[in-house]
Amino acid sequence: MTALYESMFLLDNAVVREGWNKAKAVITDTLEKHGATVKTIRRWDERKLAYPIKNKNRGTYALCYFEMGNEQIAAMRREFDLSERVLRYLILRAEEVPAAELELSTAEHAADFVVPPPPPDDMVEPDSGPIGQGDEEPVSPDMIVPDLDEVEGEADERPRGKKNEAKASLEV
Amino acid sequence: MASSRRPALPPINKSSCDDHMPNYKDLDHLRKFLTAHGQILSRKRTGYCAQCQKALKQGIKRARHMALLPFVG
Repeated sequence: MTALYESMFLLDNAVVREGWNKAKAVITDTLEKHGATVKTIRRWDERKLAYPIKNKNRGTYALCYFEMGNEQIAAMRREFDLSERVLRYLILRAEEVPAAELELSTAEHAADFVVPPPPPDDMVEPDSGPIGQGDEEPVSPDMIVPDLDEVEGEADERPRGKKNEAKASLEV
Repeated sequence: MASSRRPALPPINKSSCDDHMPNYKDLDHLRKFLTAHGQILSRKRTGYCAQCQKALKQGIKRARHMALLPFVG
């Protein structure tokens, strides 16, 4: 009996660096080999992993909808288990392909959609913090430095500046 | 007769939970229902009905499997 499935795959970034079409083929070839018809497939996200898998700290997620007979699922799972290019996968039953998903996957296929190359695996810093901290980071380096310069010239900082100068002169 | 128990914290989800069924891809939503150590909050704390709490548990566990959410920490 055929059914619709939703699946998410976590791909090794080394495979994605060779080209997104190649990376997609890793998934679609295996699916089609086992008699699946792929409805949609798209790049979901590239992100830092919550915990390292096979010494990898980052990975690319692909979201896929496909139709398949339930007899072949076990054999296909086994192939994904053995694959070193697919770090993790999740296969779930789905009622229907969401309309938004159809749009996004067609946008990825049709237009001159450029998949950004994944960053190096060591790059942990920017994504590691929570969302709040991430928002503050880009503002702070630009804003703080000129502020300090301005404040030093203003009334609040003058007494301190004078004190410091006085101390410095005493020390000398 | 004074109880030494701490008063219960208010539930996160104050309104009815039928507007948003938890899903493993909705990470910002799921993170609200985890402690700082990554544990799933109780139904008392989440304010979810049995059905939604079950979906929340399932969603968080699926996200953990895909390394989208941490098991610990």
